[in-house]
Order: sequence, then C-alpha cells, then structure tokens
Amino acid sequence: MTAPVPSPLAGRQRRLVVALQVVFAVAVAASIGALVLPGRAGDVAGGVMVAVLVGAPALRIGWLVQRWLRRGDRRFAAAAIALLGVLVVAVVT
Amino acid sequence: MPAAWILLPLGLGTALVGSVGGLGGAILLVPLLVVLGVDPRLAAPLGIMSVAAGSLAAAPRQLGDGLVHQRLGVLLEIPASAGAIVGALVGNVIDADVLARLLGIVAIGAAFAGATRKGMRNLPSPTFGAEPAGEWPGTLGGSYHLGDEVVPYSARRVPAGLGAMIGAGIISGLAGIGGGFVKTPVMSELMHVPVKVAAATTTFTVGITAAAGLAVFSSQGRVDTHAGAAVVVGSLAGGLLGARVQSRLHPQAARWVISGLLVGIGVLLLVTAR
Repeated sequence: MTAPVPSPLAGRQRRLVVALQVVFAVAVAASIGALVLPGRAGDVAGGVMVAVLVGAPALRIGWLVQRWLRRGDRRFAAAAIALLGVLVVAVVT
Repeated sequence: MPAAWILLPLGLGTALVGSVGGLGGAILLVPLLVVLGVDPRLAAPLGIMSVAAGSLAAAPRQLGDGLVHQRLGVLLEIPASAGAIVGALVGNVIDADVLARLLGIVAIGAAFAGATRKGMRNLPSPTFGAEPAGEWPGTLGGSYHLGDEVVPYSARRVPAGLGAMIGAGIISGLAGIGGGFVKTPVMSELMHVPVKVAAATTTFTVGITAAAGLAVFSSQGRVDTHAGAAVVVGSLAGGLLGARVQSRLHPQAARWVISGLLVGIGVLLLVTAR
C-alpha cells in the first residue's frame, strides 16, 4: 500500500470539529428548551431543534464540498454535490 | 406517549449503542416504543430523531480521532440514498413480516461473518508512523491510531461495496430505517475497512439519511417535538458517550460488540415478525 505524500493538513479538520461542537451545543439547548419551556417558547425551541438536526448534515456536506474544491479534490466534491442532489430528490419524492 | 423520564433514557441507550456500533439505533428504539404502546407512525419519527441526534453528538469526537472517512461515506451514501428512494416507492410490494424476517436473517448472518473472523486485516505499520490519523486526500484510504501505533487501510472491492449499498438503501427505504446494521458490516467485511472506521463512517452517513427522513416527517406534521425533545436530549448524551466508548475499544472488541448487537437486532426482528 502506498500513501500519498503526507500533507501537514491531512486529517485536520479543526474548523469542522468546532462548528459541529457549536451545532451540538445549540441542539442541546433547543432540545432542553423544547422539553421544559411551556407554550409557544417550547414550540419555537422544538422547531429550532428539528431544524438543527435536519440542517447539520447538509451543512457538513456543503463544508466538505468547498474544502475539497479548494484542495483540487474535484471527484469527491462532485460526489458530495451528487449526494446533496439525491437527498433533495429523496425529500421531494 | 410515554413520559419524558422514560423516553430520555431510551434515547440515551439506543444512541449509545448506535454510535458505538455504527448501527443507527432506530432499529432498536422503534420496536421498544411500539412495545410501550406508541403508535408506529409516531414511533418512526422519534427513531429518526434519535439517529440524527446520536450522529451529531458523536461527530466531533469521531472526526477529531480521525475515525470518519468522509469521502468513503459520501461516495457510499449516494447509492444507499438512491436505493432508499426506490425502496420507499415500492414499499408496499413486500409484506412487512417477510421483510422483518429477511432483515433478521441478514443481521444474524452479518454478525456471524464478523464474529468468526480471526485477527485483524489491517495491521499497524511503522512506515506510517508520522501520519496524522484520518483520510488521505483524493483516495479511499487513510490511517487511524491504535494506541501509539498507526494503522493504514484502503477500501477494497469498491464496485461490490457500491452495489451492496444499493441493497442496503433499498432495505432502508422498505423498512423505514437508517440501515446502519447493513452498512457497517458491508464496509468492514466486504470492503475491508477497519471496523472502527466503518462504524464511525456509518454513524456519519446514517445521520444524513435520518436528516432527510426527518425533513419528510416534519413536512407531514408527524413530529411530536415535546416527546422528540426527550428522545433527542437522551440521544445527544448517548451519542457523546458512545463515541468516547468506541474510541477506546480495541478493534477486536468492537467487532464482538457489533456482532452481539447484530444478533440482538436479528432476534428482535425475527421475534416481532408474526
């Protein structure tokens, strides 16, 4: 097995990890809010919770597309765009 | 609907199991909810929310540990999602009980394949000692850390893996589940991806499937946000704990844990089929 020339940036996705930690914190706050807040405030928190759970993977794939495009990894960027397209078809269908 | 104090630990337990084994967790949570008297039409969205939350919670840890191969996940998720659409569209042509029995046999067969394999396919290599853990750009290969050593790997039989993912997707669409219990064994046993990488990568991809399913359920008004919040709070904690447990497991132990869970899932499916 031969590895590509080691890149000092390979495997480091610190920004994505931090972004996911922030999204996780928002999901925790929204879900606790939906659980304990009464009335309209609880409904709003529940809506935010669902939006975060639906949006997080799409954001992650979008982030991967721009990262892979920036690094010239066009094949996998195209695959990620195709996946987003399939998911849109799935939701619409 | 069960009280929040029941839903929360259920979400925690199933998400923990799901993120350790890369099995999703809805396949465990939904039958448990139905047994507790929840209408299956309401239980399915709760299962999907649990998978989405567990996947989100596990992601930072698994990414930081270099266990998720996002290129492989994205590539395999395309046929899986396309297959899921086909499965959902033809869902009525197969009897639900026949499908449950079939899935049960698939799960037990995958467990047997994983449990009977001896040793590790991907061994640590000093050549790759300077490699940071993670995927190699532009390839379906990468490396992960096993203690102080680095284990390189490369996905094999990619066309067969893509074909198997179409099958996994069709099963997902037919049964309304994430299909992690098929995807993880396909990656580890067919494509020779290390079991920990396969489990973490599947945890990433089932989150994508779950998000799409949750969007559909939400647009249909089938999401009970109050009950869902209890499941999500538990699942966020479960996903976090599961990722920690998984990062400390030896690959051999991870394979045994996954095989045990698959047997449990298989038996559950066979028993619940009338």
